[in-house]
Amino acid sequence: MAGHIKDERKTAYRWLGTVLAVLVYIFLLAPSIIVIPVSFGSQYELSFPPKHYSLDLYRIFFSSEAWMQPLLLSLRVAFATTIISSIIAVPAAYAIVRFEFLGKKLLIGLIMSPLVIPSVVFALGVYLYFSYLRLTGTTVGLIIAHTMFVLPYTLVIISAGIQKLDANLEFGAMLMGAGRFRMMMTVVLPQLYPSIGAGALFAFLISFDEVVISWFLAGPNTTTLSVKMFSAIQWEISPVIAAVSTILTALSLVVCMINVLLQKKTETPA
Amino acid sequence: MTVIASRGAGPFIAPAAILSLLVALVPVIFIFYNSTAGGTSVDAFASILGSSLFLRATRTTIEVSLLAGLLSVVLGYIVALHLARQPARRRAALMILVLLPFWTSILVKSYAFTIILGRDGIINSFLSWASGADIALPLIFNRIGVMVGMTNYLTPLVVFPVLASLLAIDPALYRAAEIMGAKPSRIFLTVTLPLSAPGVLAGALSAAVMSLGFFIVPALLGGKQDLMLANLVDFYTREVLDWNVASAVGVILFVLVAIFAVPAMLLRGKQQGVR
Repeated sequence: MAGHIKDERKTAYRWLGTVLAVLVYIFLLAPSIIVIPVSFGSQYELSFPPKHYSLDLYRIFFSSEAWMQPLLLSLRVAFATTIISSIIAVPAAYAIVRFEFLGKKLLIGLIMSPLVIPSVVFALGVYLYFSYLRLTGTTVGLIIAHTMFVLPYTLVIISAGIQKLDANLEFGAMLMGAGRFRMMMTVVLPQLYPSIGAGALFAFLISFDEVVISWFLAGPNTTTLSVKMFSAIQWEISPVIAAVSTILTALSLVVCMINVLLQKKTETPA
Repeated sequence: MTVIASRGAGPFIAPAAILSLLVALVPVIFIFYNSTAGGTSVDAFASILGSSLFLRATRTTIEVSLLAGLLSVVLGYIVALHLARQPARRRAALMILVLLPFWTSILVKSYAFTIILGRDGIINSFLSWASGADIALPLIFNRIGVMVGMTNYLTPLVVFPVLASLLAIDPALYRAAEIMGAKPSRIFLTVTLPLSAPGVLAGALSAAVMSLGFFIVPALLGGKQDLMLANLVDFYTREVLDWNVASAVGVILFVLVAIFAVPAMLLRGKQQGVR
């Protein structure tokens, strides 16, 4: 009898926990989901649910110079950032995992600092510095700043990948006479593709979504999609933003699915 | 960690080291340099410390960060507890519900909240429809809008560390407590909560660090009276064109964040040491 009462109470608590959790899931997901139906609505009114469904907003987005230029710039910046940050992060991660050297902790702290420093402070600093170097309002300036900004993320992901590798293979290659560079190219890199891929993917998304630094560095010809969107939400609230939002959400969903798959992959061998 | 050599790291680490020296360290030096006009004056600090705009923004920043941090810890805990109780396979699937918002652009979320919370937004339309009266609750361009947007952004950040510490609890402890006759509420208070405290602390600190520097959410969902320090940096840079004062605000924000970030990092170091 007593056991029966306790079980009932336990189920009641479980129920309460589940109901609360579902409410929080809804709160978390609502903003990402709600933009989807709105984006298929009409261009003249912003309503939910839309009264008529159409592809008008996407048509406007893809045919308007004012949106296409920022989109292309964002894609260019994100591609360049992804490639450069991967090229820098792979050897750096290798050095951090496999070597001990003077000032290592300090250097790691410095590389990781954009994670902790508020992006507005980082953005102002880069803006002042780049004004001095005359790099504000240039694509190169954006790429350099973004590369620094995404480096902590790629470094963490690639380091985690290197930590799982068997160092004996690297020893072996070098004992057999391979130089460091050859060993990196033939032993480390081929095993590291999944981590490099994941790091690159995150770098791309983070650069593509980045607002604050791009906002400070933006010039008349270097307005990224996120900056254009930021000012559009502030000043015009045009329904086209819903179409852009849906495209961005789709991109996030792809990244998130790959994130989940990678987590599974790393869990299975262990 | 396998160390294969203590020499020869140079060429591997050099590009990252040069980049971070030039693009992470130098900008911070620029801010400190500018805030004191090259180390010659404290005018910028004197002028902001005497300005009511700055004092109000500081108060708003601290109030909003504490409250949003607290709310997101509560919401994050609810989700983490639910996830921790699922079988591994279902948990992986449910994680998508946290990861998708985590990876969704802050602009998308802020825009969505203007649709949800706006004057003719989803909530107001629904309430008007349900009550038959014309309801227009002020849910946006004020403190409520900022809190909703920030809590929404911070909650996933709290879920990850809390979930990790909940999963680290030995299930035998729960069984032992149950056999000894502890009620579910008692088990929660004496086993679950204390043992997940490190994760909660880590989550709360990172939420505080993130929220102190918030820029987008107050700019898009807040009113004029909800300006935070980050918005003030932008305001002085862009509208007033006073780089010294903007830098001074930046320095203060930097110091505020350091106060929270240093314990967070020490905590993380300690946890790794234990492992």
